[in-house]
This record gives sequence, structure tokens and C-alpha cells, in this order.
Amino acid sequence: MRKLFLLIIAFFLFSVAAAQINSNLVLAAQPPAQLSEWGNRREVLMLILSAPGAVGRQFKIKAEIKTLDGTVIGSADLAKTTTFTSNPSGTTILFAGDVVPLEYMMFTGKYKTSLQRTGKLPADNYMLCVRLVGPTDYVPLGEEQCKTFYLASTQLPILIKPYNEEILDGKMAQTAITFRWTPVVPRPSSPVTYRLQVFEVLPTQSPVQALRSNQPLLDKEILAATQFIWQPQLAFAPVDSNETRKNPTFIWTIQSLDKDKKPITQTDGNGEGRSEPIIFYIGSLRKNN
Amino acid sequence: MRNKTIVLFLFVVFVCDKTSFAQAKPVSFSVSGTAGVTYEGYGLNRNPSGWTGYAPRKPWNQVRFNFTPTFKFGKNLSLPFNFNFAAIPTNFAGPYAGIKNQNFGQFITNPMNSFGINPKYKWAELQLGTQYLKYSDLSTGDIGIFGIGVDLRPKTWRFKFFTGISQEGVNYFGGPPTVTGAYKRKNWMLQIGNEVEGKYLFAVNLAKGKDVPTSSAPPPLTVKPQEGVVISIVADAYVDKGIYFKAEAAQSTFTKDATTPTTTLLRGLKPFIDPHTSSLTDFAGQVSAGRKSANFDIGLMMKYIGAGFQTTGYPYLQSDRVDYTLNTRFNAWKKKMNVVASVGRRVNNVKNTALRASQFIGNLNWFTQFNEHWSLNVNYNNFGFQSASGINPYGIKNVSNDLGFNPTFTWTGKKIIHLVSLSYNYSKYDERDVMTGLTTSNNTHTALLTYVPTYLEKDISPDFSVLYFYNDVPLAKIKLFTISSALSMTAAKKKLRLRGQLQYTLGKLNSYSSSNNLIASCNVDLKITKKLSWNTFLTTNYFKYGNEISPSGANYLESISRTGFQYRFDTKK
Repeated sequence: MRKLFLLIIAFFLFSVAAAQINSNLVLAAQPPAQLSEWGNRREVLMLILSAPGAVGRQFKIKAEIKTLDGTVIGSADLAKTTTFTSNPSGTTILFAGDVVPLEYMMFTGKYKTSLQRTGKLPADNYMLCVRLVGPTDYVPLGEEQCKTFYLASTQLPILIKPYNEEILDGKMAQTAITFRWTPVVPRPSSPVTYRLQVFEVLPTQSPVQALRSNQPLLDKEILAATQFIWQPQLAFAPVDSNETRKNPTFIWTIQSLDKDKKPITQTDGNGEGRSEPIIFYIGSLRKNN
Repeated sequence: MRNKTIVLFLFVVFVCDKTSFAQAKPVSFSVSGTAGVTYEGYGLNRNPSGWTGYAPRKPWNQVRFNFTPTFKFGKNLSLPFNFNFAAIPTNFAGPYAGIKNQNFGQFITNPMNSFGINPKYKWAELQLGTQYLKYSDLSTGDIGIFGIGVDLRPKTWRFKFFTGISQEGVNYFGGPPTVTGAYKRKNWMLQIGNEVEGKYLFAVNLAKGKDVPTSSAPPPLTVKPQEGVVISIVADAYVDKGIYFKAEAAQSTFTKDATTPTTTLLRGLKPFIDPHTSSLTDFAGQVSAGRKSANFDIGLMMKYIGAGFQTTGYPYLQSDRVDYTLNTRFNAWKKKMNVVASVGRRVNNVKNTALRASQFIGNLNWFTQFNEHWSLNVNYNNFGFQSASGINPYGIKNVSNDLGFNPTFTWTGKKIIHLVSLSYNYSKYDERDVMTGLTTSNNTHTALLTYVPTYLEKDISPDFSVLYFYNDVPLAKIKLFTISSALSMTAAKKKLRLRGQLQYTLGKLNSYSSSNNLIASCNVDLKITKKLSWNTFLTTNYFKYGNEISPSGANYLESISRTGFQYRFDTKK
């Protein structure tokens, strides 16, 4: 009798397990602030599904983004989201574009406004919860999986020194020019490589044109530090004898690179991880007056 | 079809004006401007052989051409050319970065080349080829576009339109060296307004850029096809007594990835752009007001750039900020004292999508001419940056302070005017470590003494200077000592101008042995005829490291030679 009872319980458990789809949510602790970027990077979010005995089963994903106090700020519109079918091999892997389809996500209040205007949510800690549900009745097919994450948009360095349109004394500049900039905010987990580039602006060029077309006179990678002293080893002569431009002109910028030497922000701003460039001149201090 | 309409319209404008072609006397003709060719050669010899610790910083050979004459036919018709181009691409930033072998389209649209013709008749200008058009501070202005357009200014009205390509497609190449690649980008821009120069300007601007997703194969791995539209309204007013008021308000819709699905959940600047899930719609604005006069200027400026504001016309514009700046300039003490100062504040993260960062910026330049002998220039710059640091225990705080004094003494002898100038600069840079909270100070002292004798009866101008530079930061002390001298002179009845310079720098890092640097340069400018000149610049730079790097005794010799001919068009008698 006891054996029969155990057999019935085992059969019951097996049936329940067969009906459920097990899910495992993998989410980066600090994903890109730009939500549309999640879909381009597979490492950001993975939902691994296994449904032994439930081959060909259909389901939808109920995704909710919450604040840490549990307030739902965005949820998928289940009437519009895609219906998935479990993989015959037993394991299905879905990525951010499937799990958090932005085109069907409904956000509320200030979060909606922020997303529409900036493509980002306000900097904070959030929680993503996903649960598999039936495609028509939305009946839960498994346990809810939740993962917390932190969102903060990366701010590229701001160039400090030489400040914009500063006229550096030619004699001093021929020996050394000090460059300073602010660090990347927030500080990434691995040290940032700052690529300092200085371009000469030729008389017929605009500053940004020079940046986009000339070979830099200085192209230096600096690890984690926010200051560099450059010994230009150049003779800052007038650009040409006609002196079409009063002073030799330079434009400089910082490109922030991650540990793989790739731009730290590839989809934000200019996509090159380059800070807004500024110009400086080489002249005589007396011309300042 | 649209381009044909524009051409036809201009043709009508040119032809229909009766007054110019009905003149009995022959139409006057003149040419101004320049044309020339410049060659630049670069050499780098590194020792010991195989050492690559110093990278070349110029192309080995480069030839640049310029052809910028303006042909004038009569009073009203002009034909200016603006051709500036180089033989070898040297792009390191932007869409063409890394490109070596460019096709014709890429050559034409490469930012290093310009091919522009702007025929103008009275108030109508046809814009052909490469144009760098600035419509306003928030719409478009930093990029060159190859295309066609018009700038029409009948009476007080302004109508501008331009369309073209700012970049051709560039295929991704894994390298080495890696070419990131780019999509072909088409641009359109329009301005309609009313202006009386020096009194007011009111204009509406529209600028659009759109990538062609199929324009590169293989496509870039990291760059996505994008599309952006910005609409702005500009209003400037100038009233009596130098008082001015300027304002611009703009809204942008920018799709960061045109391959993302379209959505109805986001707002957009329809019908100019259809929003995608990666589209952003945000605002920007700037306003400034002030007064300018001979002895006193004051101005207040405020700029707001929303976190999602982006325009293809200013690719490096930093969004998400509010800037406030107060500028002033005044002369006092019978104009012997001149003060230029500004104080400002910038706050990032006005949309709270990042950590709030605040910056304080202050600059002062104070010049006083005490008497005919003495003058003093004092300058002070401050830049402070403060921000939370996310999950780190301490916030970021960087403060840069610079203070400089520059007294100058001048006296006149019988044959020479002597000038002695001393400059001293102290620069302090404090940086807080976000993990330990400890602040490290980086102190720099620079002193420069210059002597410049000016000969009243001779045509030579020498100068001499000596400089000491000291930088002190934990674990590193840098000392540099420089002496330099230069001599300028003219010869051959002032047809030949010569300038030579020698500079020697002794450098020392911590207790390592000293580095040595010698730079020699000269300019030779020869006026061959009244209109033709030959300009040459040669410089050589020898640098020998101390034992701070390996291999020991590493050194390099770098040389730059630039020579070119310039012809000046001038038909004026």
C-alpha cells in the first residue's frame, strides 16, 4: 500500500514537472543604460528554458520591470507579444529582444517620459521579473524569475585643460602642454583607457573637419589617469608665410576605451566614445590682452 | 527632380534681371584668391633598430592642393571656387577612420577634401559640391556635405536649402588595421527666415540625416544605421547701445538603430521621421543676452541640451547638460587696465539618467600697463568637477587651478628696444580616489624668462628664452629645462624672409638618467614675383631617452619638411 502511495506521488510530481517549463534568467548586473541596446548584445540578457516532456509547447513571456520596492514601472503587453514554441531538443534560449520587446513594453509616468526622451530609465536599481504564461489564457507555466540590475548612463569625460579656445604661450607649449579631463562616470569595474588625441587644424579646415580627417600629432593611450603632460617636440611656427591664421590651432579630444580597447559607449552620442572636442591656440601671452 | 527645379529657378533669377544685361559698357572682370600646391614629407629614424616605442605622427608623404579663386563679372555676379584636397587619406576619427584605399565617392566626400563652387548673383547663391553650412548652433554646422543647394536672400527674406551626402558607405574590415566602417548618410537642410543684419533675425531650421542600411558590405559591426531630424527656431535681436538678445529652441528625434522595430508608443517629428523603439525625442535651447561697448561688455548665456537631444549636424555635441555663463570685459584706468573674466556652472544629468555631475568654471585675465616700461598680466583659471560614483564608496571630485603672473619690462636704447618678460605659472590638480577617499595633488610650476631685443636700424629680430618646468605627483617627479633662441630676418630686398629656431631641453623623470631633446627649425619664404611665393618649413627633432625606458639609450630623429608654391590671383590695378 505504501509503495503504491509513493508511486502515485512520484507520478503526480512527474506530471507537474512535465507540464512546467523551467526557466533560468541571466541578466547583467549593469546592463547598457540605453534599453534599445539590450537587443544588440547577447551577453546582456538570456532566458534559458528547459521543458522536458513538453516538446512543441507554446507560451508567452510576461516581463515586468519594477523598482526595488516592487512597483511595476513597465510591463509587456501580452496581447501583442510573440508566442514562442519550446524547442524540440528540450532547451530554448531567448535574448533581450524576445524577453523585453521594447515595441510592446508599456511604461508608466516619469519612466515613460524618460524613455521616450532619452531612451534610458532614470539612474537607479531595478528588478526584471519574467514568467512564462499560456499564449491565450496567460496562465502561469512556471515560476517567476527576478533579477536586479543597476542602470546609469555612462558620461564621457569633459575636457578641462587646455580649456576651450585657450591661447597657450608658444615658448611654454614647445616644452610641455598639460592635458586634463574628468573621468568616466560612473567608474566602470575595469580601468578605463583614455586615448588622448591632438590634431593640427590646417588653415583651410574647420576644427571638426581637422579632427575627422587629419593624422593626430599626439595619439596616446593613458590607463586610468586623467592627466597627461605632452612634450610636443614641435616648432610652432606660423602656419604659412601669409599667416592666414593668426595662431597655430589645434583640436583635442579624449576617446574612452574599455578593457578590450573598444569605445566605452558605442551606441550613445557619436558612437566612438569621443568626448566633445575643444580647441586651443599657440601664440604669445601678450596676444591674450 | 527637385534639384532640376532649383537649377531652373536660379537660371530664371540670373536671366530675368534686366538691369545688368542691358548695360551698354562692357562688364568688368576681376579675380582674387589663391591657388597652390604643398608637399609635406615626414621622416622618422628610431634606434635601436626594431624599437617601436615612438610612433610616426604624420603621413610619410602628403601633397595638398588648393584652388580658391573668386571670379567676379561686373558688380553682381561672382563665381568663387573652394577646392582643397589631399592625395593620401589620413582619417583617424569619424566615419572614414582607418580608410586607406578610397573609391571616388569616398574621396569626394572625405572630410579632408573640399570641392565647392558657389556662383552668386545679387541675392541668389547656388551652392554646389562640398559645403560646410552653419544654419544655427543647435541644428547643423559641423559637418561638410557634398551636394547641391541654394541660399536666397531677397530683401529681408532668407531661404536656404541644401541636400547631399555627408559620408559614403565604408565597408567593415577586420584589419589590421581595423576599419570600423560606416553607412552612407544622406542629408537635407532647410532654413526659412527674415533678417535685417545688425537688427534682427528670425528663422526656422530643419535638418535631417539618414543612413542607407545597404550601403556597406560587410556592414559595420558596432555602428548601426541611424536617422535624425531636428527642427529649431532662432530669434536674435540687436537694439541700440550694443544690447543684444539671442535665443534658439530645438527639438530632435533621433533613431539610434534604424533596424529596430517601428513603434507607435514613441513621439516623433512626423512626417519627417518614423519613430523606432530606439528613437529619442528631446529638446534643447539656448539663450543669451548682454551689452557690448568699447570699454565694457557683459553677457549672460544659458544652454540646455536634453539627454536625448542629438543631431547629425553636430556629431560630437555633448547632450544632457545645463550651462550657465556670465562673461565680462572692461577697460579701466584710461584703458591701461583690461580685465576679461567669466564664471560659469555646468550641470550634467539633468534628466537623471546618469549620476549627477556638477562643474564650476571660472577664468580671469587681468592686464595692466603701469607705465611705458612695466606691464603685468595675471590669469587665473578654475575648473571643478564633482559627481557621485555609483557603487563606489566615495564620489568623484577633480579640481584644477591655474594661476599665472607675467610681468614685462621694456626700455629703449639708442638702437635697440629691449623687452624682458617673466612668466610664472602654478597649476594644481586635485583628484579624489573613489575607493579610498584620499586626494592626490598634482602640482606643476613653470617659469619662463624671455629677452627680445628689437633693432631699430637692422632688419633682424632675435629672441632668447629659458624655461624651467617641474611637475610633482606621488611616485613621479618630472623636471624639464629648456633653452631656446630664434632669429628672424629679411633679405634680397625683403623678398626673402628667414626664421630659424633652436631649442634644447634637458628632461629628468625621478632618479632616472636625463633625457635630451634638440629641435631645429627654419622657415624660408621667398616672394618669386608679386603674385607667386615659395614657402618652405623644415624642422628636425632629436630625442634621446634616459634609462626610464627599455631598451637603454633609445632615441629617434624625426623630420618634417613642407614646401609649397602659392599663387595669388589679383587683377586689381
